[in-house]
Amino acid sequence: MSHDSHHAPVASKLELAPERSDLGLIRPDRTTGWTDWLTTVDHKKIGILYGAFAMFYFLVGGVEALAIRTQLIRPDNDFVTARMYNQLFTMHGTTMIFLGVMPLSAAFFNFLVPLQIGARDVAFPRLNAFSLWTFVFGAFVLNASWLFEFAHLAGWLNGFEWHKHLAFTDFAPANGWFSYAPLSGTYGQNGQALRFTGVGTDFWIIGIQVLGIASLAASFNFICTIINMRAKGMTMMRLPVFTWMTLITAILIILAFPAITVALIELMFDRAFGANFFNPSAGGQPILWQHLFWIFGHPEVYILVLPAMGIVSEILPTFSGKALFGYPIIVFSGAVIGFLGFAVWSHHMFTTGLGPVPTAAFALLTMAIAVPTGVKIFNWLGTIWGGRVRFTPPMVLSLGFIWMFMCGGFSGVMHSSAPADSQQQDSYFVIAHFHYVLLGGVLLGLMAGLYFWFPKIFGRMPNAPLAYIASGMVILGFNLAFGPMHYLGLAGMPRRTHTYHAGNGWETWNYVATIGAYILGAGVFLAFANLAWTAFKGKKCASDPWGGRTLEWSLPSPVPEYNFAQAPIVATRDAYFEDKHGGKRIAYENDGGEAGVHMPSQSWMPLVASTGFLFAGFGMPMMAMGVPHAGWIVITGLGVLILGIWLWAVEGPGGYMLKTPAASGSPAPAETAAH
Amino acid sequence: MFSRFFSRVGLLAAPFLALVMAGCSKADMNVRQSTLDPKGPVAKMQYDVFMDTVWLVVVLFILVGGLLVYAVIKFRARPGDEDAPRIEEGHGNPLVEIGLITASIGALVIIAIPTLSAIWYDDDVPAESIPTSKLSAWYPRLEGAKENYAKVVEEQVLEIDVIGKQWWFRFEYPQLGLTNDAKRSVPNEFVIPKGKAVHINLRSEDVIHSFWIPKIAGKVDLVPGRKNHMWIQGDEVGHYYGQCAEFCGDSHAYMLFRVEVVEPAEFAKWVQRQKADSLPVVAGSKAETGKALFAAKTCMMCHNINGNPQAAGVFAPDLTHVASRKSLAGAWLDNRDPKAQLAKEQETLNTEQSVEIDRDVLKANLKKWIGSSGVATGADGKPTKDVKPGNRMHFYQAFSVSGLNPTFAPLIDAAENALTEAQAAAAKALVDAKGKSPAELATIKKAGDEKVVAATAALKKAREILTPEELDCLAEYLLTLK
Repeated sequence: MSHDSHHAPVASKLELAPERSDLGLIRPDRTTGWTDWLTTVDHKKIGILYGAFAMFYFLVGGVEALAIRTQLIRPDNDFVTARMYNQLFTMHGTTMIFLGVMPLSAAFFNFLVPLQIGARDVAFPRLNAFSLWTFVFGAFVLNASWLFEFAHLAGWLNGFEWHKHLAFTDFAPANGWFSYAPLSGTYGQNGQALRFTGVGTDFWIIGIQVLGIASLAASFNFICTIINMRAKGMTMMRLPVFTWMTLITAILIILAFPAITVALIELMFDRAFGANFFNPSAGGQPILWQHLFWIFGHPEVYILVLPAMGIVSEILPTFSGKALFGYPIIVFSGAVIGFLGFAVWSHHMFTTGLGPVPTAAFALLTMAIAVPTGVKIFNWLGTIWGGRVRFTPPMVLSLGFIWMFMCGGFSGVMHSSAPADSQQQDSYFVIAHFHYVLLGGVLLGLMAGLYFWFPKIFGRMPNAPLAYIASGMVILGFNLAFGPMHYLGLAGMPRRTHTYHAGNGWETWNYVATIGAYILGAGVFLAFANLAWTAFKGKKCASDPWGGRTLEWSLPSPVPEYNFAQAPIVATRDAYFEDKHGGKRIAYENDGGEAGVHMPSQSWMPLVASTGFLFAGFGMPMMAMGVPHAGWIVITGLGVLILGIWLWAVEGPGGYMLKTPAASGSPAPAETAAH
Repeated sequence: MFSRFFSRVGLLAAPFLALVMAGCSKADMNVRQSTLDPKGPVAKMQYDVFMDTVWLVVVLFILVGGLLVYAVIKFRARPGDEDAPRIEEGHGNPLVEIGLITASIGALVIIAIPTLSAIWYDDDVPAESIPTSKLSAWYPRLEGAKENYAKVVEEQVLEIDVIGKQWWFRFEYPQLGLTNDAKRSVPNEFVIPKGKAVHINLRSEDVIHSFWIPKIAGKVDLVPGRKNHMWIQGDEVGHYYGQCAEFCGDSHAYMLFRVEVVEPAEFAKWVQRQKADSLPVVAGSKAETGKALFAAKTCMMCHNINGNPQAAGVFAPDLTHVASRKSLAGAWLDNRDPKAQLAKEQETLNTEQSVEIDRDVLKANLKKWIGSSGVATGADGKPTKDVKPGNRMHFYQAFSVSGLNPTFAPLIDAAENALTEAQAAAAKALVDAKGKSPAELATIKKAGDEKVVAATAALKKAREILTPEELDCLAEYLLTLK
């Protein structure tokens, strides 16, 4: 490898000599603009891209939600057809979970974890880029089903021979985010593989599968990063709580996603190749799908919630002027939630006829999981207690998070009682419950995080009055939309029904809920618009505007690409706060300076490899559509994937040395540190 | 200026809760599918456990929420804090933590105990509800049992098989001989005697459905390839509403059903009626034409009508007593006068009260339902709207039994071909006519267009399987099936 040219330290990557590997492949280190963003391996840029895509899909999912609510605003409405409604709620759920909350959490993981542990990048920078692009293509495949659906509705596909032979013409998935077999699967014997749904389900299967690969790759990366890349002195019990929750979330993903991966492969084999895993007419077990799905699906809830809990656990101490109450208990309860999360999946299946003994066992375990969750709320309360609470947009949103999450937790306790749940299951009561947890909880937590760290990410401060108005609209609209659903559920309105008759007593509160949803939608849009504006045009601010406690606030804003000019040595928890106000200063290692910091080279290969998923993702549903030769698209995709990984392997380690300002100017704090 | 306002943001929840409480009138509590108005022991037990959790949660909400509001207000930052000494960095208090964890566990035990007892109670008919052995000594095949069913029901647990299909429910009473095999099944509206425990077997023939009568019992799923069970009991006479609660495809929202709780003596009469055949139609009436159409348009391939030997299908709902049911099309279409029904509910403050069937509404519903999926045209000349998208009522084109359906399937194919040919011919004529004068071109184009229009009209006619008159006759026939 002709890699030597890079070993001379440079002040900027644009000064690098062009580098070619023996295969003639170029590492695009010296690029700017589009190429730079497409080939970046910088965890901060990847985090920003994750965040941008996540916010975009939040809006997509939000539009789907508003269409759902518009349909339900009055009885016997026909704003959308039954099938379109089913597609909307399927895509709303899938989008919000897999393309909204998870990638937005991933944005925080990417941006913050290396900064919080005092590292200069994640353990595997190219794998990180691979996760990002795999997510992007998986999300695109899933949403491309809408493009096919609209093309079908517009009649553009009518001319194709294969289109005339389709028994079902739902191109966007209409099987629910849970995709229960056999509705999503097959029936019939002798490998007939007759179906209840069209190719939308095939889009859904391959889309979720690809997204799972992205999540798994990212999780391995973050576990390795957190375990191995911590700065000196950053022991596990000194980790910021957000990093702890990231670690637990990553472990949950690694343990939970294999279950859904297996289930999706089985379902795909059922549909595409006439296997009979879930086919009841050939002896398959539809209930197996539910077990596999929920042993993924329940930990998934904690995958969504724990990062938001971590964010709130960072914000509350900052604005209470006081250390987190019960740090070890918060960390431990997070771990207990993660562990117990794998022991409660069947509470989603209380009505499937499990029998009294398993029902009782899962009811008790579900009650048990309320204990560590309650402990977190008590400790947040303890953090505020005796502090000096400063009201800022992130703090207001965090307090909103605690309130809404608490309400969601309370209705969760109601579900844990299986007999009560048999009335609530699949009713609007459940919708109210999990939106209080996932929207009132997670979305408020993530929004709090955005407002909290945006000054660090872009060096610009979001407009506070606008942030308050948006937060107020979100909280008000949210309660107006989902509060009444508790009643609707108890009044017997089942979920996933595209319409209802007048006379059931559901008219008033559905109307109120829809109005609330519009307010909520406007609030979220305003909040995101404020943030987007801030990213480009916001007022510049200091590097530590909030009086932060953890290492990332010790860095300039925006953070330089090497993060730490000199690697920090940490002596305590809340290291930066102690450094500012306490006795224990942050020390710095004597590295960087003229000798430079070793930076990873950028690469095209993660992008190339994940493009393979784009081909495979389109090929599988097109095969199901009966498009001629579509199987070759899948094989091409797998070929591109393998080629990309192979070239990735042989393009060489790369890397270059970047000079940092540390040695050239101000005295290094390392010498002044009390050691 | 906003911070003061939003420091109270948490307080929003309190007036909201008060608003909800104030809105809880009796009318809100006993709506048709309310779970808060139990009318049977199973739903009652579930309601009681639910209320246990509600009280626990209300207490916790006031405690924790109150503390949170207090803390946020009490410990808010005040001017001058900047100069105050820094707060001591503490990291928690083990005694407080252990105390709170213990208290949480204690609170959960309070709801765990009623939960456990209710799980077993709800699972199957409790022993005290079965006066004698559950072994079906009086199974209908046994001597004398058939004639004695009233006494038998009196003494024993009634069993009902519920079979879910996309998108309707079929009910069978195996002990009473009301089964699909005996061509006596009961679709969508079933009847149970008041105060009697009923054991229900749940099965599905396609996808997963869920059986839910909120006022009588919480839901249990119908899973294909499995047999689930539950038990129900209605303690008050009335007309109850149920709905499929598991997403089961396009028309999931239309998969409703009803249950009528009646006095035991009434129940015996109902069973007798179910076993009776339909009455013969009056010769020369519209109904007689309708009966012939029922065969000619292949309705009888799927539907069974006792008393009409031609109609012996097993796939679709039994229509022997279709005109005696208060609902149609998976209970989506209500055969009662909606205004009268609403008035009765408001007058009695009881949604289980029901008015009788309105013949006009029923006939309109029949026409709407049979004519759906575009097989007939409405008053505006357009194909009638789908009542239940994806339903299988008009799958009869799949039956190509020679001699049975000589009318439409091949005709539609032929008409489709004719239209395609007319379009192709018109296009070809235009291409061939290249270079001719504009006047000639216009004539050729007009001729081609006319042919296409004619072919389109022919196709429309072929697709219109039922003319308005035929639809009317068919509805008249079904109206005689009481």
